[in-house]
Amino acid sequence: MPAAMLAAWGLMSPLAVQRPATAKAAYRAPRAADGHADIGGIWEALGTANWDLEDHPSMGGPYFQMGSIGAVPSGRGVVEGGTIPYKPEALAKKQENFANRWKLDPEVKCYMPGIPRATYMPYPFQIVQSAKVILMAYEYASTNRVINMEKPVEASVDTWMGTQNGHWEGDTLVVDNTGFNNLSWFDRAGDFHSDALHVVERFTPMDASHLNYEATIEDPKVFTGLWKISMPLYRRVEKEAQLAEFKCVEYAEELLYGDLRKKTTK
Amino acid sequence: MRLKEGHAATAAFSGILVAASLLFAQSWTPPKTSWGDPDLQGTWTSDDQRDVPFERPAQFGNRRYLTDEEFADRARQVDKAQTEIVGQGIRPNSGYWARQQGVNAAAAPPYFQEFSRHAARQTSLVVDPPNGRVPPLTKEAQELRAAVNKVRNRRPESWLDRSMYDRCITRGVAGSAFPVIYGNGTQIVQAPGVVAIRYEMIHETRIIPLDRPGNARPHAPATLRTNMGDARGHWEGNTLVVETTNFIGGRNGVGVNGNGAAPYSDDLKLVERFTRVDAKNIQYEMTVNDPKTYTAPWTVAFPITHEDGYQIFEYACHEGNYAMHNLLSAARAEDAAEEK
Repeated sequence: MPAAMLAAWGLMSPLAVQRPATAKAAYRAPRAADGHADIGGIWEALGTANWDLEDHPSMGGPYFQMGSIGAVPSGRGVVEGGTIPYKPEALAKKQENFANRWKLDPEVKCYMPGIPRATYMPYPFQIVQSAKVILMAYEYASTNRVINMEKPVEASVDTWMGTQNGHWEGDTLVVDNTGFNNLSWFDRAGDFHSDALHVVERFTPMDASHLNYEATIEDPKVFTGLWKISMPLYRRVEKEAQLAEFKCVEYAEELLYGDLRKKTTK
Repeated sequence: MRLKEGHAATAAFSGILVAASLLFAQSWTPPKTSWGDPDLQGTWTSDDQRDVPFERPAQFGNRRYLTDEEFADRARQVDKAQTEIVGQGIRPNSGYWARQQGVNAAAAPPYFQEFSRHAARQTSLVVDPPNGRVPPLTKEAQELRAAVNKVRNRRPESWLDRSMYDRCITRGVAGSAFPVIYGNGTQIVQAPGVVAIRYEMIHETRIIPLDRPGNARPHAPATLRTNMGDARGHWEGNTLVVETTNFIGGRNGVGVNGNGAAPYSDDLKLVERFTRVDAKNIQYEMTVNDPKTYTAPWTVAFPITHEDGYQIFEYACHEGNYAMHNLLSAARAEDAAEEK
């Protein structure tokens, strides 16, 4: 696509205007069979974004039995500018979510994580890169999504993981996500969205073992404007690296259905 | 073939298509990926096998395929079923048809079911032993089956009384592969050194590393077991061969939706073969080895089909598992009523 057309497309798309300064331009990733940058492999975010996208101090967890294992580590936020731009009534809801997070967080119930949260859950995910589709399979809850790399499709139904259209801008995989339901959260701190969520992700190779991940988030029902998160993703370089299986449903059943056990059994 | 093109003609054409595909299978050259592997990629469905019995009805004996007459009869039945559902404003894979064709399809049984589009030739999905029947269970497996059935058939005391499928956890590899009432989509994505197989129902993804034939990297240690097993793949000519071990025994069985004759053991080994036989069909084969459960190995085989417009939708089973809540609360209400 000629540069002029790209620029025109950029002007039309509010998310694309905020073209971020990404990884070092000098690095050229190895090529996939179709000539695009090869970002296949097993990746994982480090850090504490899944605990809270914003800056957060360490704090105790809700279950004393778990001692320090159940505590929340502190961490720097990953939101550009530091704060998520909530509308006032949405901020109140976020605070209510936070107060009830150990009960309400969809992760507690082993529900699908949505986007962008799937990327920075504390579990690895694998990219299987083909020309027409790119599969992202997540260890957490056997979640997966398939990014359509052909003619963009419109979301036909709202889902947890959304509908994804991707394209390449140089070595950067750009994924446009729409068609979400309003049920997933962004983190364990109660950050949330509505069914108007629109996420544009950018995966940019930084070197052989790192991707730069950015997600620009738009949801006019919840936020006053666009906001952006970014973090590195680390390649799992162990020789025998393989996605493990974490089917967490069975670890949430007592929580979800425990009150419906037959009274005499345990 | 599209239904809207006239389902009256379906029966006749189906026969021709099957015969034609058998002929072309000899001379057809399968496509390769740009890095030289056989190309199995795309979205496939086992919907057309929905009307084939899992085990062979006794009347067919050792015969694997229907006669022309029997096939014409089955094709008429498939056509009749299609005519009926189309008459109700429903199209097979109704979500797709509703969106693409403006058909006002309701989302309720039988409407949310998927249906065969083309009649299938096989007399059973089990093809070996030659009688198309699952070999007898071992004594241990029979005892396990009796224990499982007792729990399944009682008023549920907890979610643990229900199958892994009811609990939206997994149907296992075999349960994911066999045709059922809906969600029969399988999507295959390939990259150098890896084949990923994604099943619609329960949203499973298997990521299969590829090795040279006879040079497979070792399986995970026996202490590391999973519901979907540890898969290793290689190419034999144009056939993808996948050997999967390290299953968790005592849970799912080798059968529809993971409900087999009895739960399989830790020793289960599945060998699957995927062979693209023409533009629209992959011949799928699964051999079951589990001497603790079955007195002999056995094999299931059937084609999975590419159908234009067929697509996989998100299957958020656990997230919407009202059935589990409802059946447990109903059970407790029955308990309470009996106490009165």
